Amino acid sequence: MVNLKKGLAYLLIGALCVTQLYPLLWLLTYSLKTNEEILDGSFFALPKTPIWTNYSEAYKSGHYLQYLGNSVFVTTITMVCVIILSAMVAFAITRFRFKYGNVVMLIFLLGMMIPMQATLLPLMIIFKNVNILDTHLSLILPYIAFSTPISVFILSGFMRAIPKEIEESAVIDGASIYRIFRTIIIPISIPPVMTVCILTFITIWNEYILAATFISTEKLKTLPFGVYSFVSQYSVNYGNIGAFLVMGAAPVILIYFFLSDKITKGMVAGAVKG
Amino acid sequence: MNVLKVPGRTIAVFILPALLLYVCIVFIPIIVSFYTGTLEWDGIGDSKFVGLDNFKRMFFDDPVFWPSVKRTLLYAVASMIEIPICLFMAILLNRYVRKANKFVSIYFTPVILSVVILGQLWKTIYNPESMGGMLNGVLVWFGLDSWTHNWLTEPKFAMYSIYIVSLWQYFGYHLLIQFTGVQNIPSEIYEAAQIDGAEGFKADRYITLPMIVPIFKISIVLAFIGSLQAFDLVMVMTAGGPAHATDVISTHMYNSSFLSMQYGYGSAIASFLVVLCLIFTVLINFGLNKLERKYS
Repeated sequence: MVNLKKGLAYLLIGALCVTQLYPLLWLLTYSLKTNEEILDGSFFALPKTPIWTNYSEAYKSGHYLQYLGNSVFVTTITMVCVIILSAMVAFAITRFRFKYGNVVMLIFLLGMMIPMQATLLPLMIIFKNVNILDTHLSLILPYIAFSTPISVFILSGFMRAIPKEIEESAVIDGASIYRIFRTIIIPISIPPVMTVCILTFITIWNEYILAATFISTEKLKTLPFGVYSFVSQYSVNYGNIGAFLVMGAAPVILIYFFLSDKITKGMVAGAVKG
Repeated sequence: MNVLKVPGRTIAVFILPALLLYVCIVFIPIIVSFYTGTLEWDGIGDSKFVGLDNFKRMFFDDPVFWPSVKRTLLYAVASMIEIPICLFMAILLNRYVRKANKFVSIYFTPVILSVVILGQLWKTIYNPESMGGMLNGVLVWFGLDSWTHNWLTEPKFAMYSIYIVSLWQYFGYHLLIQFTGVQNIPSEIYEAAQIDGAEGFKADRYITLPMIVPIFKISIVLAFIGSLQAFDLVMVMTAGGPAHATDVISTHMYNSSFLSMQYGYGSAIASFLVVLCLIFTVLINFGLNKLERKYS
């Protein structure tokens, strides 16, 4: 009886591995096949000879490095700004003698319920009027704004628990507020800062809608939008599309491969505290 | 009481940059959006104040609006139904598998990928057999030729095909949350229960379930709110087509404002979405808190 239960459990667990991973592996084989192999529908078959040219052609006709560079640029700036800005807010509302700390927190919490796409249209009009539409700034500003609440929430949860004595002694030693923030609070808060980094990275790296709405210049497109335009442009060459999709997924998959424990922990922390 | 007594200026230095940016990017647009919802405007030329006409049209005269609300809510319900299954799998993993973490990480992989990539991947999976679609290929292989369909272009199936992709993607997310919750239940409790004769699923009924309620609640809220906001996956896979068969609230908003250039009407839908999200967030938290008090 126990063995039967155990067997069933293993069966379920294994079946789920197949459903969750097989589509991704299938994409990998797909990206190495010729058009004929793809069209004849032998979905389990490996490619007879792997067509590596799919990758070189996709690389040449898409602007892979450019998209990748843009994504790295936008995501990095966003992450740095989110961490600095939200750490400052979290520090102020958890450690200062300040009446309105809770009000500030409430404002951020209220914003967490607002769906990003509801701001799409008004933001576009506003950005058009201040002439930053179709620049990286038009992505970075909303990305920072929408990542701030959850980050403030996570960081302030941590900072609240730092013992007061640390600051007391720092104040007695004559350290300024800025110095306390820079040399004491930030170094202690590295673990939640990592969580914030991971959450921000995953959301911003994959963001598609804002990028597709605000950016139209080829040179400025981020990776998800770039992948989308590539796919809609070359809709007949299946192998190339597969290759470009794999290349689009590769950076995140690589990072996930090395940091999966950290990433899963960070995502749980983000979910639970959010 | 907090130690640091600081002048107002210092507080401003720490709080204002983030707060100002936040108010400008999130709150002001929402207010603008409520206002432009009362205009008849194509986004470029002159606008005309029409009062609540856009809202009237949305509620009474738009054949696409209510079906899209229905699909959005169905989306939310479907993603909530997934969560008990995730909890069940989390319990199984925790009980029978030694390196369960590895499996959870595997299930989690789709969560970190961009919806553009997943959407395109599933589009090729749903393709007709003549274009090498995997799903139809599998059906033919089993001799079920009559079951093959153009999953994304037949209005009857298109929406369900998208639900499946979304459930597939977020399965690992909710499983991970539930698994962490199950893992955090102290093992002493189970040991004590074992002495009292409660083991296996009996222990789950009386220990795991009551103790997991807070975590379960988090998953439910995330799934529900996430589906109300469902947008990018639909945009990537069908953009609301064929013939509005897969329009959800957000895509209807997007198509009205950016394709038909009815900025006023699009803003009205956007305002509705904001209000809907606020109401449901409050309602669902209220309901679940009541449930939580009852069971723990």
